[in-house]
Amino acid sequence: MSDLFNTLQLSASGMRAQANRIRHVSENIANADTPGYHRKTISFESELQAGKMTGAVQSGQIELDQRELSKIFDPGHPMADETGHYDGSNVDLVVEIADAREAQRSYEANLKMFDQARQMSKSLLELLRR
Amino acid sequence: MFDKIEIFRLANSLAVHSANRQSVIAQNIANSDTPGYRAKDTESFSDNYKNSDSSVLRTTRQTHLTSDAARNTAAKLLDAGGESSPNGNNVSLELEMVKATEVRHQHDLALSVYSSSLNIIRTSLGRGR
Repeated sequence: MSDLFNTLQLSASGMRAQANRIRHVSENIANADTPGYHRKTISFESELQAGKMTGAVQSGQIELDQRELSKIFDPGHPMADETGHYDGSNVDLVVEIADAREAQRSYEANLKMFDQARQMSKSLLELLRR
Repeated sequence: MFDKIEIFRLANSLAVHSANRQSVIAQNIANSDTPGYRAKDTESFSDNYKNSDSSVLRTTRQTHLTSDAARNTAAKLLDAGGESSPNGNNVSLELEMVKATEVRHQHDLALSVYSSSLNIIRTSLGRGR
């Protein structure tokens, strides 16, 4: 039984991490047109508790994508330099959508495991109900 | 009392093993995007059951020392292998789903065997269903 509860916690940690990831994806997409915005990336790492691996996952530090910012030509823009360009963001919408899809797929897999563990413990408890 | 009967012991071990394996699968899936994570798996039930059987000392009297914990030894963790992606992670969600379905069947099987054996005993005691 404790294994099943452990399963629920592991799946929940996975869902939490993926939800965090998709939150950053939406932040990137929302700021796709913000001048000078660097897209945020998030990495996953194994959770440690008192130096021991719990097997759960957690999202690590947020890092900024250091790719070059896109140059947008608009001489009328207040931030334009002498050539008429200003710094846009380095968000690539296709990459963000792909990332969001992947996060969704992983989230669903975690959810399925959560549901299965729940059903398994439920059928275990059914044995007592006679 | 009932765990001394072989079939209950078998059903119990199978249920414990499948819960254990489910936990390992959930861990793999939770870490399916963690860089450098290697997929794990438990050894198969038949191996685990055989090993746990031979390693436990036979008890012929109530006073003999035994440990229930030793009987249901936690299955050893194995590296599940498989192709790894560029970030060193080798979890395949599809494979894990297949394993999860297997585990589900195993667990259902264990519970069905347990409850129908219980019914047989009830019937033999004259209580019926």
